[in-house]
Amino acid sequence: MATTKKDPMLETGELCVKTALAKGAQEAAARTYRVRDIEVTWRDGKLEKIQEATTRGVGLSLYVDGRYASVSSSDLRPDALETFIADSVVMTRALAKDPFRTLPDPALYKGQSAVDLKLDDPKYAVVTPDDRLRLVKEMEAAARAVKGAEAILSVTTSFNDSLSETFRVHSNGFAGSRRDTAFWVSAQASVKDPDGRKPEDYSYAGSRFWSEMPPAAEQGRIAATRALSRLGAKKGDSAVLSMAIDARAAGRMISFLMGPLSAASLQQKRSFYEGKAGTTVGSPLLTIADDPLIPKGFGSRLFDGEGIAAKPMPVFEAGVLKNFYVDTYYGKKLKMAPTTAGASNLVVKLGQRGQADLLADMKDGILVTGFLGGNSNGTTGDFSLGVQGFRVRGGKTAEPVSEMNISGNHLEFWKKLAALGNDPYPYSTIRVPTLVFEGVQFAGS
Amino acid sequence: MPDNPGMTRRRLVGLGAATLATASLPDILMTRAEAATAGATEGIGYFTRFGVTDQMIRQTLSAALSKGGDRADVFFQHRVNHALVLEDGSVNRAFSSVELGVGVRVVRGDQTGYGFTEDLTAPALRQTALTAAAIADGPAREGPAQLRLDRNLPSRYPVKVRWEDVGTGQKLPLLTGLNEKTFAGSPLIKKVTVSFADESGAILLADSTGRIVEDFQPMTRIYLMCVAEKDGKKESNGYNVAARADLSFYSPERLDRMVREAVSRTTILFDAVVPPAGEMPVVLGAGASGILLHEAIGHGMEADFNRKGISIFSDKIGKPVAKPFVNIVDEGELKAARGAINVDDEGNAVGTTHLVKDGVLTTYLHDSISAKHYGVQPTGNGRRESYKYAPMPRMRATYMLPGPHKKDEIIQSVKKGIFCTNFTNGEVQIGAGDFTFYVKNGYLIEDGKLTRPIKDVNIIGNGPKVLEKIDMVADDLVIDEGGWTCGKDGQSCPVSQGIPTVRVASITVGGRGKA
Repeated sequence: MATTKKDPMLETGELCVKTALAKGAQEAAARTYRVRDIEVTWRDGKLEKIQEATTRGVGLSLYVDGRYASVSSSDLRPDALETFIADSVVMTRALAKDPFRTLPDPALYKGQSAVDLKLDDPKYAVVTPDDRLRLVKEMEAAARAVKGAEAILSVTTSFNDSLSETFRVHSNGFAGSRRDTAFWVSAQASVKDPDGRKPEDYSYAGSRFWSEMPPAAEQGRIAATRALSRLGAKKGDSAVLSMAIDARAAGRMISFLMGPLSAASLQQKRSFYEGKAGTTVGSPLLTIADDPLIPKGFGSRLFDGEGIAAKPMPVFEAGVLKNFYVDTYYGKKLKMAPTTAGASNLVVKLGQRGQADLLADMKDGILVTGFLGGNSNGTTGDFSLGVQGFRVRGGKTAEPVSEMNISGNHLEFWKKLAALGNDPYPYSTIRVPTLVFEGVQFAGS
Repeated sequence: MPDNPGMTRRRLVGLGAATLATASLPDILMTRAEAATAGATEGIGYFTRFGVTDQMIRQTLSAALSKGGDRADVFFQHRVNHALVLEDGSVNRAFSSVELGVGVRVVRGDQTGYGFTEDLTAPALRQTALTAAAIADGPAREGPAQLRLDRNLPSRYPVKVRWEDVGTGQKLPLLTGLNEKTFAGSPLIKKVTVSFADESGAILLADSTGRIVEDFQPMTRIYLMCVAEKDGKKESNGYNVAARADLSFYSPERLDRMVREAVSRTTILFDAVVPPAGEMPVVLGAGASGILLHEAIGHGMEADFNRKGISIFSDKIGKPVAKPFVNIVDEGELKAARGAINVDDEGNAVGTTHLVKDGVLTTYLHDSISAKHYGVQPTGNGRRESYKYAPMPRMRATYMLPGPHKKDEIIQSVKKGIFCTNFTNGEVQIGAGDFTFYVKNGYLIEDGKLTRPIKDVNIIGNGPKVLEKIDMVADDLVIDEGGWTCGKDGQSCPVSQGIPTVRVASITVGGRGKA
């Protein structure tokens, strides 16, 4: 068999590790990448912008005499890289020793899944400039074809395709590479409200395979329909109400649960989960798994950011906290075994019914379709978030509401999770359906 | 995956909400020895060390115009960042990053072609230029026959010692000193993290008129974070400062203020009551409350949204939008400010732009494209995160000028409301005008007095409506010293903000208590 020529970015990674060891590091890990990214933006009947580039660089972790640094560079000229690494080793030596810093236990590199994740479209290169133009035009046409389109002020659509290649080399025996592709279409529409506001909304969808691109026109139609549905939105009264969160918006709410699950947050006393392992923190309906092995998933991987072999992991089961995100460093500090350093795909256990049925059951409340700003305090669990959406009356969506806010504390809030839909949002690493909560504090007029 | 799917949403974060700096390199950035070689070309100083020549730039601009774009520019960047982090009592991690690359832009009317590369060789630059050129489809235009350096840039951030000449050992005492003083500040403090970063940046912009500008842009910041514990409860908070300055920025007074503020802002949270829910008067303290201006009006005045007709301010130039004593500016001239720039990322001069003058909406924030669209001069707001991005209208330092009232009289005027002092982040919808900002510390106002502390509450309003409702402005303008970063279309830019004490007659406070 003919030997395949080694990728120059892999060679760069190997050279970086070798150089780091030669300059005095005892251990080193390099990650090199090359990303080709093309984006075409179309606005109101003509091209707005074309951007196309291939970018590359290197990141390097250095373990020098019991000390640690992490450095990166896009200046890959051989002489510059060598000087950079030598200087970085000198910088590292100026730090305090840290006995908890090491590369992962090589035993954790073993046991990678044999599943084909299907992240790389071999036909990536068949997409032509004409294809990109056709898609962005289709989206605008679809947006302008919806009922009420005369109120549309502007439509912007875009198509993006990328090919990303990364290589990871560790001095204690790990080597891994990854090649993935992605294709995304997105549309945004602004509409004129008689009251002077210009509400906007968007839609986007993507795929790892060109042949599986979701219909572009659908994104234009959704963006325009959603923007038009915002016409006449008004602030509602302050009240404690039931709340449904649309699947597309619900990922943000789930994401607030994740940060404080890191071992770093626990060890630094910045987690509202401290002392709560194995206890009930949510409703029996709350079950979330971290699953890195979903074919074609946007968060799928065979190994994590430390090279550790990726495995599915329960995070919450029937409201009980099952696992933390434990990396090598903070795991050593906490004397906890590493799990994985960060989330991959989050799969939320679904309910049986669709959003319309859930709203019919909810009867009275607010359907939240989008968040605006706000924040969540990972130390205490307090959150306060701007929301917009629709009033729900008699089990059906009624008038649009905006300029409102919800607040609560996660340790109480998730116990009020009353129902989940069967409609997971597919275009995110967080696969969450419509969520329904009882007794939520809304602030408004 | 699009990281910012709501395309017209704009976010502002304080360092508290941002991830730690990615990082950068040690005491000697690049190969210093190279610097003097290659016989410096007229106009190009710094970038000759990377083999960039006058001829290479002219050839790139010619290739960029080979399909008939109206104009083109090339943007070289070399940026070196170092960060040190103290955690659990010692400075036990360092980060550094080197960014070196060039972006080529071709503009035709309102349309943009853009490409970039990290490979600063003539063939790579030519290929990048041809990529960007594809936005046009006409006969080739001539590139500049000659390049000339603009030597008249102001000097708004001079440094005595450049960061590349400051050793790691000189920085360490800053972090260890802050750590010790913070623990000494209160027995409730259980964890302290200090994150220090410095940056040396060089840019070179050359355009198809033959103009070259070069600027050197330093930056530094420290974020001091702490966690306190009391009666089994935990609270976290912090304080941060940032500037385009050198090591002398960290005066003993500033470091003491950081400790004092971080400790008091954290420990007071144990006494905080549940903030109220509903509409009420809100008094914004001088300084960081400038976040209100950034969200309520700043983004909506960026001219790209207005030339597209999608900003809520699109048809309001020349109209009254606020009380006559309200004056709002955006400027890049503040000495050593995080949001200061000597020149923008399109090579245009940077001065002071009045968004609102005597209550009347006056001027949008322009880049070259929007200025041409409106037939006005650029305002020096064309900024970009790095060579990987095309520039667009962005804020610099946005603040309100002093007004006729006094802070005390403003607080005394409120029977029941809240007073806000400290914020983490904000966001705005450009077209609908709704915006939010998140209050980390504040107080209830009861019968004209500050009473109990409050925490963690989002405030939501509508830009033009809230501007109308600013009915008192004090004379105590403060420009916040914090490290604010503005996000737009996935690009981050450093900004500053400020405001005197102001009263908003009514706005929605997103708490949980009784209004």
